Amino acid sequence: MPGPPTPWRTRGRGLVCTGTEGAQRLGTLGLDLAAAAFALARRFAAGATLWCWSPEWPHHAQHIAVEFVHPVIVGKRALPAEAVEGADVTAVLRSLAVPGDVLAAVAPASDGHVASLLRRASAWGVTTMWVGAGRRPATGAADHVLWLDAPEAAWSGDLVLAYHVLWELTHVCFEHPGLLREEACTDEVCITCSDQARLGEVISLEDAGLATVRTASGAESVETTLVGPVQAGDLLLLHAGTAIGRVDG
Amino acid sequence: MTDFLYPFIDADERDAGPLLEDLAASAAAKASDTLSLRAATRASVGASLRRLADDMADRFTAGGRLLTFGNGGSATDAASAAALFRAPPGDDAGPSRPLPARSLVADEAVLTALANDVGFELVFSRQVIAHGRATDIALGVSTSGNSANVVRALAEARSRGMLTVGFAGYDGGEMAGAGLHHCIVVPSSSVHRIQETQAALLYDLWQEVQARVGQAA
Repeated sequence: MPGPPTPWRTRGRGLVCTGTEGAQRLGTLGLDLAAAAFALARRFAAGATLWCWSPEWPHHAQHIAVEFVHPVIVGKRALPAEAVEGADVTAVLRSLAVPGDVLAAVAPASDGHVASLLRRASAWGVTTMWVGAGRRPATGAADHVLWLDAPEAAWSGDLVLAYHVLWELTHVCFEHPGLLREEACTDEVCITCSDQARLGEVISLEDAGLATVRTASGAESVETTLVGPVQAGDLLLLHAGTAIGRVDG
Repeated sequence: MTDFLYPFIDADERDAGPLLEDLAASAAAKASDTLSLRAATRASVGASLRRLADDMADRFTAGGRLLTFGNGGSATDAASAAALFRAPPGDDAGPSRPLPARSLVADEAVLTALANDVGFELVFSRQVIAHGRATDIALGVSTSGNSANVVRALAEARSRGMLTVGFAGYDGGEMAGAGLHHCIVVPSSSVHRIQETQAALLYDLWQEVQARVGQAA
């Protein structure tokens, strides 16, 4: 049975919402949720775990995780998701997360600890999502920013709506198996392998001017002479086996 | 459900554009559903919610505390309500008054000890026995209204003189007939839309209670 007319139309570089009350409430969040759900479904299809973290509102992280682990709709598949907490979540995720996983942090934009861990997770090859309300995080703070403008949305049910919809849309994506396959890496086009700088986290120091770093593709040895002395935990920009800059962790 | 839109659903589908457009439209439709349900429920339970706020404000003023509980997503919604009452966010109107509130799902040692030793039906009622005072408020959340451990805990609370509050969905289930002081029902059969609306009503309730208890001394 066809649904109501699509409340979206094309303008400029992409779709914008028009019409319905729901589209107005979501604003660009509708499109952001669509892109995030599609990315999440692709990651799950490739074996990812979804890590959920909310230092200020742990109930939101737990709610997201339980949606995926124990779906409310009978017949939907159970997916690996887990809420993490504790005094040092960076250490927890450094131990548990593997390249290809997804980290969804639920927090206000002012949370510097979250901004920092999302950057580090990116170095580990983890796809990042920042979910919240009020003032938005800086552009590029996460791969997917799922945001509501009203600060009270964190309490008034709108944030719950946002992650419920994320779950619902992710499962719609599973009905499209052809779109969930990740393209194979080729030397010509793959960003990971191409002539671009990547992030890495220092694991340990080797001989003078050399360090072992963790990147999205695993542990590797890099030349650190250009950036000076480094220590375990430092985030470095890497290019062709050489650290070419530092990133605030 | 989307087959009519995408005749090419199969392993060879390559263009994600139509899917993304459909997902965004679906997100908007779900948001519209929840906003409609929220408005309709506010209209039908508004007076009940204000009477509930009167009773809760009386309890808090008399030194009572709020104990919340539920299962799964409702456990997190109950925890959210407790956090909101206990450590409310500041806003333009200035700081709100923190009120004593806690969630009975927060301690995994207590929860698993009770579940293992006396059964999951009693995980909240045994905590009500341990913690509850006659001046306190018990607030249970269940989308079906039938969660046995929530209904049991509310019955235990009622027998101890506590103010009993149920938040349910569907037709209210067992909660509706459990003799609670207050039962707020969100008339829907979608677990997600019920939870989103319950969260909105719990936020309304917190605002109503704040308006009654005034600033901290």
